[in-house]
Amino acid sequence: MTKAINMAFPYRASAQIGINKLKRRDFLRAGLVFGAGATGLAAGYAAVPDAFARAVYAAKLEGLTNDNVLVMIQLAGGNDGLRTVVPLANPSLHDLRPKLSGPMVSQALPLNDQFGLNHNLGAIKGLWDKGKVAIVQGVGYPNPTFSHFESIRIWETGDPTRRQVDGWLGRTLASAYDSNGHPLTGCACGATDVPGALRDLQATLTVIQDQKTFGFTGGSEVEAAVGALYKGTPGIYGALFDTAIATATETMATLRTSAASYQPMAAYTDKVQLVYSSKNQLAAALQLAAELIVTGTGVKLLHVTLGGFDTHYTELNRHDDLMGYLDSAVGAFYQDLAAHGMSDKVLIATWSEFGRRPKENASGGTDHGAAAPLLLIGDPVKGGLYGEAPSLTSLDATGNLKYAVDFRSVYQEILGGHLGADSTKILGASFDSVPFLKAPVSATV
Amino acid sequence: MSLAPSPEKVPSASVQVRRGITRRQALAAALATGVGVGAVRLLGGSMQSLATPRAGSGTDWVSPLGSESARVMQLLRRTSFGYTPVQLESALSDGFSKTVDRLIETNPVEPPALGAAATPGGRFAVGQVQQWWLDHILATPAPFAERMTLFWHGHFTSDYRKVADDTFIYWQNLTWRRMSMTNLRSMLMQVTTDPAMLRYLDLATSTGQSPNENYSRELMELFTMGPDNYTEDDVRESAKALAGWQLPQPDSNATVTVANGVTRNLPVYSTQRPGVFNTRRAFKGNVTYLGKTGPLDTQGVIDRILAQPATAAFIAGKVAQHFVTAQPDAGYVKTLADVFRRSNYDMKTLMRAVLTSPEFSSAQSYRTLVKSPTDFMVHAARALGSTNLSKVIAAAGSGMGQTLFDPPDVSGWPNNESWISSNTVVERVNFVSAALSQVKGALPSASDAPRRQLDGVLSPQTASLLNQAVDDRARWFITLASPEFQLK
Repeated sequence: MTKAINMAFPYRASAQIGINKLKRRDFLRAGLVFGAGATGLAAGYAAVPDAFARAVYAAKLEGLTNDNVLVMIQLAGGNDGLRTVVPLANPSLHDLRPKLSGPMVSQALPLNDQFGLNHNLGAIKGLWDKGKVAIVQGVGYPNPTFSHFESIRIWETGDPTRRQVDGWLGRTLASAYDSNGHPLTGCACGATDVPGALRDLQATLTVIQDQKTFGFTGGSEVEAAVGALYKGTPGIYGALFDTAIATATETMATLRTSAASYQPMAAYTDKVQLVYSSKNQLAAALQLAAELIVTGTGVKLLHVTLGGFDTHYTELNRHDDLMGYLDSAVGAFYQDLAAHGMSDKVLIATWSEFGRRPKENASGGTDHGAAAPLLLIGDPVKGGLYGEAPSLTSLDATGNLKYAVDFRSVYQEILGGHLGADSTKILGASFDSVPFLKAPVSATV
Repeated sequence: MSLAPSPEKVPSASVQVRRGITRRQALAAALATGVGVGAVRLLGGSMQSLATPRAGSGTDWVSPLGSESARVMQLLRRTSFGYTPVQLESALSDGFSKTVDRLIETNPVEPPALGAAATPGGRFAVGQVQQWWLDHILATPAPFAERMTLFWHGHFTSDYRKVADDTFIYWQNLTWRRMSMTNLRSMLMQVTTDPAMLRYLDLATSTGQSPNENYSRELMELFTMGPDNYTEDDVRESAKALAGWQLPQPDSNATVTVANGVTRNLPVYSTQRPGVFNTRRAFKGNVTYLGKTGPLDTQGVIDRILAQPATAAFIAGKVAQHFVTAQPDAGYVKTLADVFRRSNYDMKTLMRAVLTSPEFSSAQSYRTLVKSPTDFMVHAARALGSTNLSKVIAAAGSGMGQTLFDPPDVSGWPNNESWISSNTVVERVNFVSAALSQVKGALPSASDAPRRQLDGVLSPQTASLLNQAVDDRARWFITLASPEFQLK
């Protein structure tokens, strides 16, 4: 590390510049725009080289766990659980939702005589029929907050007391996978900033908004110069900046290889009619996730987001649209993974900061609620209904659904049973078991 | 005043410290200690101490803020989206105090009217509003008003997707600018009755009979008091008290073909106006809100919020985080909050207190803020003397995480370290390439750029690359793409 210099013009360079004892990366061919000297300088820039990182990563993984992958889908804004997993024979539903309940019950896709999936979840219903969907009902936590941001933070950190600052997946990265900084172990697809669930100061991860545009204009010359520029940057943000550039460069190299060898085996489309357009291109994000998974980049924890679930008004059309969009993207994703022979490795899980108020409001929508169901999808799950559907008559003091399953029970099963990580260490405690996995890792090891 | 370095700031050689620290440790230590990193700051001149490895972060920038010229440059970076050479010269010749006076006392300048606003239903591309605003930011003689407008756009935020009427979005921008440096009490009434806001947070469809809680909650949680300062009952009760507002009546209606033969009757507005209150939709009766019971109207809700000490602290804390330092300490925030509350929530008083506080220009606050994407791009355009970049800027914000009128959610944009990810840094660099490629003719000389744009405080890497750059294009690229230029 070198000290920042307060310089007068002309600038004095440190003698240390460009002499880097890390392994060199030979990507620079002819960086002449920035002068011949910069070539040597840039060549000194080395994150961990691709092959090197992967070898270390493989060694690290050996004996630790498995090659399972987790994909978390955030339904941002508070997904209406009652419109996702619909009670089919509950007379109270109509009283609570005179405007919203009619078509949602009559059109629902029955799972049994009590519950049905939203009528736009056809592909997910198809997976249910094959035993590949587990639904955990009544998921929440004690003393729920109705603030989006407080509740998002609780779900992201896995801590209803709000003391924890790192994300539950970030902590998993840091403790189980990340000591060698493989940048693709954790990846947020379709985003520009790091999702809170993946955030941890000790974790390296990648954020890719759009694979098609993820790269430096100007190619390797610019990449080399920028690599040289962002090294040993002083100040409180210095390491964050340097890591971001090193991670980006490393990921670009990986994506060049993976993009060349990946052929999508399903039709992904973001051209879905929504009442208003979504910020998040869910299908594109999941297609990138599929590419990273099937080309063996070493990705373990992926996070994607679909926004728009804060349905305070005209919920009828908006929520149905969102369900349809979710369904088509998840359906294509599963099909793609299956066609590549990877679906047995991948667990898909939805999460949302809260459900919605059982009673509808005057805007044809619903306000912030509490307990809601989570969907767990993929070959690793043992299909069926878990947890307990909340009562529509015995509501809590705020008129909301009471939870039956702590959300950390679901995290625990994912961490321990699917990823083979130490869930007690990561979550700080043990929770009741929700055995939605077909063959939990802990049971087979 | 000139930009010549004062004697004690003349270059020191780079010194090796903490060789043993890893990248990861540095990252953890730097962020864990936050602004406390000042405690291990390596100040120029204290050469002896540099030889001793220290705990904590590796290195920090050497603050140049002992010199007035550096203080003036920082002031403009934090309040005015940077500066053109002319703007900088003028501020340097005025000095710091006079520049603060000018910033605070200059009234906002209205942008030229946007012709598209009369489009039926506000059905025109949001890109037109984005470009219109950016053109004004680049051209205005009163950039502080634009900086404050952007601050309020992130605070009292609305999203064009849900508002679904770009005329309302355009109006909101006009209103936020006009009120940007006024009084929080009148601002909150304008925010509550703003048509885009009425739609964005659903107050326009709330009734006393069946209240919609969206606006009621966010008014307290995000706009004024912050979480944990009110109860769920308060949310329900103020939802009742606030119900009754509706969108304003249009001047006329027009039948418009929207898609393959489908026609719709859409509102046309020729003049801007706020929402209207419909007493028939209001709640009749008493509410118990923030500890008091009785009849309550919208002004009553606002006044009760302003009676809570949490409100001044919440606004002052957010301002400090955006203008002074990423993690302002509680004592500083309290000082600002007290000033704000005593002034009856006058924004000029608050902002003057912020800009003239020792904390604003202290060495500890140097480069502790990350420029937002809009900040960064506008500053780059000013530095290059480019006036034709509004379209490029409007389009480039998305990959860096900031699309104007399209915040990620109702809390607006996160700031500082949240602006840094593998995606955003690449996009920042790509913007520099795009901006340079848009410059018609010769680039301005870059020989002064590191001193004028980066205070002459450079990392060894930046200094070395600048020394080796062969032409102005390369020097501008290094300057604008450098980590130094991302900070303010």
